[in-house]
Amino acid sequence: MKQEQPMTELESFAIIRNMINAAKTEQKDNGRSWIIWGWLLLSVSLLTVMNLHFAWVEQIYFFWNLFGLFSIALFTFEGIKKLAKKNQDVVRTYYKDLFKLLKVGFFISLAFIILNMNTGLSPYKGFGLLISLYAFWILIYGAVSNFKPSIVAAFICWILAILCLFVKKIEYLMYVHAAAALIGYIIPGYLANKAFKKNI
Amino acid sequence: MFKELDPILHSQLRLAVMSLLIGVKEAEFTYLKEKTNATAGNLSVQIQKLKEAEYIEVVKQFKDNYPQTICKITTKGIGAFETYVNALQDYLNIK
Repeated sequence: MKQEQPMTELESFAIIRNMINAAKTEQKDNGRSWIIWGWLLLSVSLLTVMNLHFAWVEQIYFFWNLFGLFSIALFTFEGIKKLAKKNQDVVRTYYKDLFKLLKVGFFISLAFIILNMNTGLSPYKGFGLLISLYAFWILIYGAVSNFKPSIVAAFICWILAILCLFVKKIEYLMYVHAAAALIGYIIPGYLANKAFKKNI
Repeated sequence: MFKELDPILHSQLRLAVMSLLIGVKEAEFTYLKEKTNATAGNLSVQIQKLKEAEYIEVVKQFKDNYPQTICKITTKGIGAFETYVNALQDYLNIK
């Protein structure tokens, strides 16, 4: 932007619009984390089904345990990376700050359910609770970002969570979980990514 | 009767800075410079004027041995920005 020049009212409006649009990209999510976690959750569910059929390993939840270890490693790596970078953000938004805090709450609740599942909670109830928690997280994201696909997906996930209570086989439970990952994470994730690319 | 446009805001660079800050919690000087394509010197002068008008808060600190300037819009600044936009709407008759 050059030195001071007389400005018309229309030019003022154009500046306001351009700058607000420029700042708006900071609020947008590219949907990448939804896509990555969605594919991981879907893969683990389907690998568990395949393991039930082909009996690769004796432990039914072997891939879930592997996924748990992978997640812990990933969080540790991300934590170290963030500490090393010492917050390089050149801009802070209310949106980003809110999600940082909510993400912590989500993962603590997630870990608490998983801990319960490892100490006696039935997998049928446990996976239902997990999907219900995904739905709540997806709804918050949809509401804060004003992203309708996530809002719709959240309600579908709650229906799937209720369905878990009536499922009687692990295999079907895994299919329901895979459906929740697809509907709740992957599809909205790709839609968010498409919208993000369109806006930049 | 048209309201007079706030002379502090009726300037390209100051208005651009305020429009950026209205949408975020706080922003670094480098971010504002990148988005407005302004020179560092000119941006510093305009930021100082906004600060003197109490439209923004400016925090100067050091991060990894480098000086860092963080700008944040104030409540007074938000009010002034709203009044400015309303006055513009009156001028352009787009209410």
